[in-house]
Amino acid sequence: MTLFIGASLVALAVVLFILQPVVKGLHASLERDEFELTDTEARKRVALLALRDVEYDFLAEKLDEHDYRSLKAELTAEALAALEADEQAQSGAGADEDELEAEIAAIRAGLGAGSVCDACGFSNEVGSRFCASCGQAVAAEAAG
Amino acid sequence: MTILGEFALWIALPVAAWGMALGFMGGRTQRGDLVLSAERGIYAVFFLLILASLGVGAAFLGDKFEYWYVASYSNRELELFYKITGLWAGQRGSLLFWALILAFFSSICVFQNRHKNREFMPYVAGVLQGVLLFFIVVLLFAEVNPFERLAFTPVNGQGLNPQLQNYWMTIHPPTLYLGFTSFTIPFAFAVAALLNGRLDARWIQLTRRWILTSWLFLSVGIIFGMRWAYEELGWGGYWFWDPVENASLLPWLTATAFLHSIQIQESRGMLRVWNMSLVLMTFLLTIFATFLTRSGLIESVHSFAQELKIAYIFLGFMGTILAGCIVLILYRLPKLQSENRIESFLSRESAFLFNNLMLLGFAFAVFWGTIFPLVAEWVTGEKISVGPPFFEKVNFPIGLVLLALAGIGPVIAWRRATKRNLRKNFIIPISVLLAVGTALWFSGARHPLALVTWSICAFVLTIIGIEFWKGTRARARIEGEGYALAFMHLVARNRRRWGGYIVHVAMVMIYFAFAGAAYNVDERFHMLPGDVVEVTSPFGHTYSLTYEGLTVSLGKGDRNLLWQAIAAVSVQQNGKQKPLMTTEKRMYVTGDLPMTEVAIRSTIREDLYLILSALDDMEGAVNADANAQGIDLQVLIKPFVGWIWFGGLMLAIGTFVALWPSVDRRRVALEARSDAAAEPAMAGAAD
Repeated sequence: MTLFIGASLVALAVVLFILQPVVKGLHASLERDEFELTDTEARKRVALLALRDVEYDFLAEKLDEHDYRSLKAELTAEALAALEADEQAQSGAGADEDELEAEIAAIRAGLGAGSVCDACGFSNEVGSRFCASCGQAVAAEAAG
Repeated sequence: MTILGEFALWIALPVAAWGMALGFMGGRTQRGDLVLSAERGIYAVFFLLILASLGVGAAFLGDKFEYWYVASYSNRELELFYKITGLWAGQRGSLLFWALILAFFSSICVFQNRHKNREFMPYVAGVLQGVLLFFIVVLLFAEVNPFERLAFTPVNGQGLNPQLQNYWMTIHPPTLYLGFTSFTIPFAFAVAALLNGRLDARWIQLTRRWILTSWLFLSVGIIFGMRWAYEELGWGGYWFWDPVENASLLPWLTATAFLHSIQIQESRGMLRVWNMSLVLMTFLLTIFATFLTRSGLIESVHSFAQELKIAYIFLGFMGTILAGCIVLILYRLPKLQSENRIESFLSRESAFLFNNLMLLGFAFAVFWGTIFPLVAEWVTGEKISVGPPFFEKVNFPIGLVLLALAGIGPVIAWRRATKRNLRKNFIIPISVLLAVGTALWFSGARHPLALVTWSICAFVLTIIGIEFWKGTRARARIEGEGYALAFMHLVARNRRRWGGYIVHVAMVMIYFAFAGAAYNVDERFHMLPGDVVEVTSPFGHTYSLTYEGLTVSLGKGDRNLLWQAIAAVSVQQNGKQKPLMTTEKRMYVTGDLPMTEVAIRSTIREDLYLILSALDDMEGAVNADANAQGIDLQVLIKPFVGWIWFGGLMLAIGTFVALWPSVDRRRVALEARSDAAAEPAMAGAAD
């Protein structure tokens, strides 16, 4: 008898526990919490982490100066684009993935077009006035 | 209590089914009430499985032999400790225990994510409930119900297999189960990502801790198993390429591959399909491991029973999961395209890819060797067994390449490495490799496999040592810190990197120990009391072993012991007295053959391992016949074997370093928002 009562109580408790949300209309959130990383934030983080890794690889002498500078320039461009996209997303403008890709592509193109050093051919960071590799003055770039 | 437990198992069935259905429905219709109900279902299943497990425990403690499971794995004389661990001593209990641990991890996962990652959780809950449901169905319908009653109540049970009455055996299976089951969580997140279409690296970031935890348990579980085999099986080996050992190694190999390849997805957005496939493969292999152990299809020292029904259920489940996941991956293929390409053959990415191919090659060889006997028997009708020579031939070269990669990978830069830099970075390690190789050769250690392995070990250690040194020096220079502080900060700032390197050091230690097996000494002697034999260690010193005599004690059925014959051997190393060693034969009430207890004397250099292989006259010895003292003694010297266990410890330390939470993520997220615009490089360093 006690066994029967015990078993019934267990069954009843379990059923009530799992049915309560449906019957009473209790809802679990299905939305992203504001503290969580958004896609653009995640992208930003990845870009920044990649920058950190390049810094480290250079310090640990795995990269030479030339590769370091060109990689850093590329990654900075990606990071900047990601940052901008993130800010837009936060201000509600909502940069979707395609826009972000397009922006990165534009900045990369800008890097290639505008900041290549005439003297040594090195790709400089956006906005550079002098070449990071040879120190020659760089022509004003097209995109920024 | 036991009846209540059985009842709880039956209630868990509809609850899990309900939870699974509501999880998927709630995700599809985005209804929060359904999802909440599904999530509560997980807690409920956990609660019910606790009741069921307590039920089994109560049956063991109360010697309720009317239950088949208790009657088969316990008896009145069994020690209390082994009665408590009876839950996972046999097939039926282990399956329940497995489900219990899975429910435990599932509950933790649901609780952790009650306010976050909500887009994933409906499907995560659905998948977890699905897997739980499967195990409950197996328990109830595959003729493996631990609550099955016998038609009569035996006076006493059959007792526990003496080989399982060992400390390591009580912690080895649970540790492995922890590893197997916790991998269900990353799998659930992967499926959820496929279903909700959020296929960026987030599902990986969310489950990184779970993946590492699972990997840690798998690694430690495997090492515990080796330790058990080494101590208990009594022939001095720790790995047999036994089907069940292989089965536990398989998910470890693919999980290791996964741990490396997710880094590429996180940092470069590549290999998405590959990572999905690896997580699926690893999950299926954890189920396959259960299947192999629990179905008894392949003969092995571990297999519990020859039950086919359960085999079909397992195969059906694995087939369904495989098919379902392939369909999902194909459906999401457009979204799974890579963002980037590998820029250069000489890059960390391609080193990781190569590592993945090697690990998978290794896994495939092990898999094939394990199931080949089954396939062969099915095709030709003859039993064929695949022994260690096959596995060793195939896996030693792959293993060595993997070891070398553990050193090469860290030195190669991401994206593209420059040859000149590579040359610069490899000069010292390669010189060390050659120097160590030459030194070994001239010191007489010329066994090719050992020579190559130890040289590569030196190479990898040098590289990792230099990495730590360079990082510390750079940090000390930039931050103006002392070296000790700089070292601490270095590790703290990027725990993943340095934790990973520590694990690489652990692997070097383990390989170092494996290669020591090339110099094993194995000698057998027939001895009478007072006889002295000498055995020379590969390190040059000599052990002289004196057989002091045999002591026989008759157990009174206590701990199921009938009798115990203890051979005492006194040891002198180069004339210096060492502690007495004893090796035994034990006869249990529950066994037909006497079991051997070995004697092990461990030092950092080598283990001295004594086996009482045989008694000249067992009957005489038991009857205290003074003339029945002759024994066969097997003496093994096993260089470096202790380094496996040190390596295991190091591996755990490294994984803990990588696992340790660095900074509160919410704070980072908030701070990143405010700081990011001003100081991009600094904000990223907070991971």
